[in-house]
Amino acid sequence: MEKIKVNMKVNSKPVTVEVKPYARLLDVLREELGLTGTKEGCGIGECGACTVIIDGENVNSCLVLAASMEGKEITTIEGMAKDGRLHPLQDAFIRHNALQCGFCTPGLLMSAKAFLDKNQNPTREDIKVGISGNLCRCTGYEQVVDAIEEVANKND
Amino acid sequence: MLKFDYLRPGSVKEACRLLAQHKEKAKVIAGGTDLMVQLRDEDKKLKDIAYVIDINHLKELKYIKKDGDYLRIGALTTHDEIYKSELINEAVPFLAQAVNTVGSPQIRHRGTIGGSICNASPAADPVPPLVALDAQLKLVSAKGEREVSLLSIFEKPYVTNLAPDELLVEVYFKGLPENTKTSFIKLGRRKALAIARMNIAAAITLDSEGKVVEARIAPGSVLPKPDRVRTAEELLLGKAPDQKLLEEAGRKVSEEMIKRSGIRWSTEYKKPVIEALTQRVINQALGVE
Repeated sequence: MEKIKVNMKVNSKPVTVEVKPYARLLDVLREELGLTGTKEGCGIGECGACTVIIDGENVNSCLVLAASMEGKEITTIEGMAKDGRLHPLQDAFIRHNALQCGFCTPGLLMSAKAFLDKNQNPTREDIKVGISGNLCRCTGYEQVVDAIEEVANKND
Repeated sequence: MLKFDYLRPGSVKEACRLLAQHKEKAKVIAGGTDLMVQLRDEDKKLKDIAYVIDINHLKELKYIKKDGDYLRIGALTTHDEIYKSELINEAVPFLAQAVNTVGSPQIRHRGTIGGSICNASPAADPVPPLVALDAQLKLVSAKGEREVSLLSIFEKPYVTNLAPDELLVEVYFKGLPENTKTSFIKLGRRKALAIARMNIAAAITLDSEGKVVEARIAPGSVLPKPDRVRTAEELLLGKAPDQKLLEEAGRKVSEEMIKRSGIRWSTEYKKPVIEALTQRVINQALGVE
């Protein structure tokens, strides 16, 4: 099967990769580009652990063919900190103890970032909907919502 | 994961040419939120697939527009785009409500209205409001174009009668009459990331005296194939809705479910619940509650 050449931007850097036609974006990020912060949970779009941001929108990278990413801008958890400084959301997650095992955290942060980038003054309810595609099975959601709410309020 | 070659047509015309060339060996991918799961599961339905034809980047199939009395939605418009459309929220609010219950934000950013229709899941949330709207579909192939009703394509769960070389490019419907109120309810095991156990869409048009002049009731996951429940709709005509009338309408829906689907292991649960959902969706549409 013929490999497909894809030009995309990953974490603001232009990248060209040759991908298998049936490779998922998740596979290429983890195995070709070594960006293992993006996790595979269910593999069927139900848990959100593999969430990345494509052209400003949070999506499940397990449901996206890598071959279809020509010209796309992708942000992964590795692209969140800038110049050695954590993103305010990452900082808030730590302060609010919004993680225990941490497996869902990269995905949650991706959804939270995509959500706050588009919503200036969200209510607590809006935030819950914003992260409703990300499952956490140990910490729960209260601290996560607290962390996101704090960052949202600082943006005012 | 099934293995396949990836084809990326630059236009609808080229997509049709590829479909004509590969027919049953090819499968179209739009948002991929259903197909990627089926490919990963190595679904038997897909065992002969050698090519996946990606159309998701074809911007010409991404639009929502008003055309006289009609609304037209390009097949590649995502659930999220439909939910955010002012045109849709104003003209057919229950469709905006329904697409916003699909999966999760991640799924709604990728999943498309055309993909949802072609996947033919009996639990698809966008389908009941489209059925209530008597939606029509525009299909194209290398041979030309044809238009069919949405209802006519469903053969059985997850199977449509679209030809292997045909591409769904548009869904369209006539706007609702004035004084029409709509609503949609999804019943899932949890609020997000749930497949509907049952869902239902209703559009009720009242005259100046508050009597029903038109009713459209379309349940999902209840009938073998999506449809409106005419017996319940007709019952409402000419009457002012009250609790007793809505209870009767609910019974008409459950009668129709049992008539068409038979008594099944789930009937004991589904019968009272679809009756309650029918009452609730009409009450919600009319602003009662």
